[in-house]
Amino acid sequence: MSDLLHFEDFPVGRKFACGPYEVTKEEIFEFAGAFDPQPHHLDEEAAKKSMLGGLSASGWHVCAMTMRMFADGIILKTANRGGAGAREACWMKPVRPGDVLRLEVEVVDAKASQSKHIGFVTFDCRVFNQREQVALVSMTPIVARRA
Amino acid sequence: MNPQYWEDVEIGTRRELGDYTFIEAEIIAFARKYDPQAFHIDPIAAKESMFGGIVASGWHTAAIWMKLAIAGRQRDRESGNTGPMRSGVSPGFEDMKWLKPVRPGMTLTYSSQVTGKTELRSRPALGLVKTLNEARDESGELVMSFIGKGFIQRRPKES
Repeated sequence: MSDLLHFEDFPVGRKFACGPYEVTKEEIFEFAGAFDPQPHHLDEEAAKKSMLGGLSASGWHVCAMTMRMFADGIILKTANRGGAGAREACWMKPVRPGDVLRLEVEVVDAKASQSKHIGFVTFDCRVFNQREQVALVSMTPIVARRA
Repeated sequence: MNPQYWEDVEIGTRRELGDYTFIEAEIIAFARKYDPQAFHIDPIAAKESMFGGIVASGWHTAAIWMKLAIAGRQRDRESGNTGPMRSGVSPGFEDMKWLKPVRPGMTLTYSSQVTGKTELRSRPALGLVKTLNEARDESGELVMSFIGKGFIQRRPKES
């Protein structure tokens, strides 16, 4: 018997709390410099004049930080057969330096595969900041082994 | 000249964003930080996994799309071919699909094609543009795709 979570551990309605993740200015700069070098992610003065009204993390960085919380909280504890994407993701609020993020996920769909070995689980993911604002929502499917 | 405003963006317009070769050290560095599953970070454990070797995090494959898209906009600015007056802000994406594993040494070719335009009642100064974004491998097979959404400035009304 392994202690890993399996498909059967993810009934619709089960909730998990993941995180926290502290967002630093250095990490915002590092990620944006590598992948998303736009002024509102890299330049505090330019960011103030931008639509987001101040320095913010790249949306892809927010996805990556969410993945880290999801991995630590669920995926690394699951007999997981890999993800295949995300059905939808909405960046709701800018993520700022100093924000402390947490991730709440709820199982919204769970279907056993006909192969009998695996099942498909879909999570509704909500990332909150320390002001209890929702920063990101996404629908994320995974493939989990059956017990 | 590329379109300047949302009004000028034409559905069907396709941009080639260029190539990117994934190297193992970068795949592992990204995944250690953001997606530390064994098949992304541990070459030995990855051999035993369903992938049979190290593969890139899907989020890494997606982040490279952003990198190449920004580089394309930069090239446009430098050549005076300024392209759409983007706000640089996106409300999100849909249908992110990781269809094939991305292994060290693979070169992916990225593209972006305009698939839709929507007016925004709540934000009359901006319009929404949807794009189909893809990464393909050396044999042209689709490796990643998603629907991107971006806000683009609308042409100012004559006063």
